[in-house]
Amino acid sequence: MKARVAIPVFPGTNSEEETLRILRDVGLDAEIVHWSRGDRLFQYDAFVLPGGFAYEDRVRAGAIAAHDRMMDAVVDAAIGGKLVLGLCNGAQMLLEAGLVPGTGAIRRPTAAFTHNGPDGKFVCRHVFVKLSVAPERSPITAALAPGALIPAWAAHGEGRLAAPPEHLQEIVDGGHLAFVYTHANGSTDADAIPNQSALGAAALVNVEGNVLAIMPHPERDAWTFNHPDSPEGRAARGNAERMLRPSGGAALFESFAKGLALV
Amino acid sequence: MPLFKVRGESSGALQSAARRAGLALREDELRRIAEELGRDPTLVEVYAFDAQWSEHCSYKSSRRHLRKLPTSGPTVVLGPGQDSGIVHLGEHAGERYGVVVAHESHNHPSQVVPFEGAATGIGGIVRDVLCMGAEVIGVADPLRFGNVDEADSHQRYVATTVVDGIAAYGNAIGVPNLAGDVFFDEGFNENCLVNVVAFGLVKESQIIHSKAPPGSAGWDVVLVGKATDASGFGGASFSSLALDAEDAEANKGAVQVPDPFLKNVIMRASYRVFEYLRERNITAGFKDLGAGGIMGCTAELCAAGGFGAIVDLDDVSTAQAGLPPFVIAIGETQERLAWVLPPEATPDVLRIYNEEFSLPNVARGACAAVIGAVQTEPRYVMRSGNEVVMDVPIDFLTGTIHDELTYEIEAPRTRDDGEAFLSGFDVAETFERVLAHRDVASREPLYREYDAVVRGTTVLPRGCAAAGVIAPIPGSTLGLAVSVAGNPRYGRCSARYAAEAAVVEAVNRIVCVGARPTGLTDCLNFGNPQRTEHFSQFVAAVDGLAEAASVLQVPFVSGNVSLYNESKGGGAVPASPIVGALGTIDDVSRVVTPAFKRDGAALYYIGRARTAIGGSVVAGVLGVEDRLPPLDLEEQARIVTAMLAAIDDGLIAAAHPVTSGGILTAVAAMGFATLRSRPMGAALDDPSPWCGSESATVEAFFAEGHGIVVEATSEDRFLQTMQEQGAPASRIGEVSARAELHLLSADFQAYARFPLDRLHDAWSAPLREVYG
Repeated sequence: MKARVAIPVFPGTNSEEETLRILRDVGLDAEIVHWSRGDRLFQYDAFVLPGGFAYEDRVRAGAIAAHDRMMDAVVDAAIGGKLVLGLCNGAQMLLEAGLVPGTGAIRRPTAAFTHNGPDGKFVCRHVFVKLSVAPERSPITAALAPGALIPAWAAHGEGRLAAPPEHLQEIVDGGHLAFVYTHANGSTDADAIPNQSALGAAALVNVEGNVLAIMPHPERDAWTFNHPDSPEGRAARGNAERMLRPSGGAALFESFAKGLALV
Repeated sequence: MPLFKVRGESSGALQSAARRAGLALREDELRRIAEELGRDPTLVEVYAFDAQWSEHCSYKSSRRHLRKLPTSGPTVVLGPGQDSGIVHLGEHAGERYGVVVAHESHNHPSQVVPFEGAATGIGGIVRDVLCMGAEVIGVADPLRFGNVDEADSHQRYVATTVVDGIAAYGNAIGVPNLAGDVFFDEGFNENCLVNVVAFGLVKESQIIHSKAPPGSAGWDVVLVGKATDASGFGGASFSSLALDAEDAEANKGAVQVPDPFLKNVIMRASYRVFEYLRERNITAGFKDLGAGGIMGCTAELCAAGGFGAIVDLDDVSTAQAGLPPFVIAIGETQERLAWVLPPEATPDVLRIYNEEFSLPNVARGACAAVIGAVQTEPRYVMRSGNEVVMDVPIDFLTGTIHDELTYEIEAPRTRDDGEAFLSGFDVAETFERVLAHRDVASREPLYREYDAVVRGTTVLPRGCAAAGVIAPIPGSTLGLAVSVAGNPRYGRCSARYAAEAAVVEAVNRIVCVGARPTGLTDCLNFGNPQRTEHFSQFVAAVDGLAEAASVLQVPFVSGNVSLYNESKGGGAVPASPIVGALGTIDDVSRVVTPAFKRDGAALYYIGRARTAIGGSVVAGVLGVEDRLPPLDLEEQARIVTAMLAAIDDGLIAAAHPVTSGGILTAVAAMGFATLRSRPMGAALDDPSPWCGSESATVEAFFAEGHGIVVEATSEDRFLQTMQEQGAPASRIGEVSARAELHLLSADFQAYARFPLDRLHDAWSAPLREVYG
């Protein structure tokens, strides 16, 4: 039977529709699950936690949602080896829930995505992220090329990875640093990082590799019409059908779909 | 119920009582109310009329002039009159889609408490679009701030905090910021302008109107949203008063408190209600609560359908006990809307809001609840406790009232004896100063605080092109382009010219991304209309908008008037007619971007070359005066037609309108757009052959002549199209693979090369200092 993917919606979530569209466009059987129907979440085979401001980002982004009843289903799934992908606010939730990097106890986070440097302001900026673990480190990235570059939009106020030094070391040593921010050519420096994130981190993966938390939004640069001046965009000029195809950031979701077929 | 004594009061006593009560109503208006009612009004009534008869709600002095605006045409689905206008976007899968657009100002609140004022501006305009049954798909924010040079000035605080407020609200509700502009001018030191535009998507067969439907007598009036509190009392009248530093503190009570978290949930719950009503084929009325609170909204909702209403204030969920009835009735607590629903649908709608979307758990006291009923008798009645606290003829409350104010024909404050001034100036140094000018420099430090891409529909995000573009319908390449314009440097010279130029610029911006203009929306920001000087500017601006829109054949579908933008010291804002434009791209695979595409391709300037630099950035930078460049509307209309024809035939590879900074700045912007991929520049020819002057070549590069710079794909066919459409076009140079601008004039051989990255640095730096 085809795997079913849930997109849980918390009060304050705002990116569920585009997340649903890209998952369906890469061939997945995905559904939005509203918080009033949270008990149904236990029926799903995989989870994609969408972006937004769940519970108004009170305390810290993702902190309240991490303790929500809906998150119990996600924690169970993660421990059970199901695939879980968190996008932006969803990524923040996964760190707050202790699932990523997953070196501590559940709901005892060892790291957080927190207020952007230098000034704490929300930043909306186009970025590239580079796969910085071996693709097979995670089923979610397994179909990507080594060092794959994925375009995405950073759009967050709390996306800077922060952790005590020993936990940062753990992230490096344990191969948790899944994606780092880079320029379009794959090089990186301070200018490539939109938020002063520690290690230049854009995404982290858990110990087992089945849970990935990514701060920027590949789903907002996931169709050719999102990037008309890119090589794919120029090639699609005058071709409506081609303009509507997934490309760019869609690569991560295509890899997620292939990974889902593996587990 | 306490009465407000009018009858038998002396003029002096009445005026001072009105002043003490914080009323903006004038003595003659108070006497008219008492006469019509045949008694002294209650306190609720007097505050109700104060709100409804404010300029903000009644357009009492502006309405008769606004009638001059063209408001019909084949693209108009719904013209001005309801909460928003609607223009036709296109068809997809057998459905006709419309774009809902509303435009408002939140100037006064933003000057007093910038964060909350700006945030609630976005919150309010989004509700205006939502209540038409639409999904909210974007916002735009034309902003005007004072001089922000001093780091610790109030102007700087306003300019940065307004942006924080817009970002905090728009980002949280998940609506992308698609377009906007910002100007800095001393004239806005004491009165910033925060105009907000919102866009929605609706199937034209599923529009919900802001009125009680036919046959709705006896139906429920349902209030949805935040618990009513004491915030926002007196907002409508507040916005119709001149600002005064002394009053600013007292006026803070009139500003509403935003709650984007709750709004996010209300929006999604309302989408669910739309679906529920469609499934059952139920026609309902839906309206946003804005000025005048519960009273203003429910009275207008029912009056629009030809009905009266009875509202029971005891049924309103309040945040605190003991609020006086007039505060509950008139206060402008945010995040509220009202439905008129058939009683059989009410329980399900309440369940969707209160249980499925659990409003009471999202914010304390938030809910949907029945608070009254539509009635046949054309009276607006409010009860509180066992008393009737308001009972007035509904049409007298909401109907048209007029103030006939005097105005004169505006005399433009410009020189007519302009001549070439600039031949002695150093082009290199001037160019960098123009790019670094506050009206030209990159806006990125400001707009990067706004989410431009949520919803995943963005094609050209803010700052990427002259207009924002989205593909709002999943599975369709139908595109919506949106832009704003309104140049205060022109407003200082001539309100009429500023208005015409705003229409032309907004439309040019739309055309440059390959969209067909379909509709306009305006916000008219002026000083106190009781002063002939200001009202004359207002009238001149409306005349200008009307003429430009008529000639360009793009109708106005919505708008707003914001008068009294002045402080009691007497300083009014520069005349600020601000225009937004919408356009359709039938297929976004044919969207035009500003980035240069091909080495060696020809660059053309479409439009008449100008050398007059009045009102331009370069005139300000160099401290010279000149006449305004002539604005030939008929010719602008031909430019639009010619551009659209050339784009249809695939003859335009890149385009950018000439606005602040002139042709050289537009060319630079087209180069900057290549910097993230493969950098390309341009080589520009000596302008004397095309500008018609040997001595004014520098002016030609910097004049702001309302034309468009394009990269042509095929020169012969391009020129033929321009000629057929009667649009002037001059070859100004070529695209080059070198990342520089190269000016080939013999006159300035010595400093003819500008590396693009250096220009980009000059352009990028200035606002970083303000916005961090």
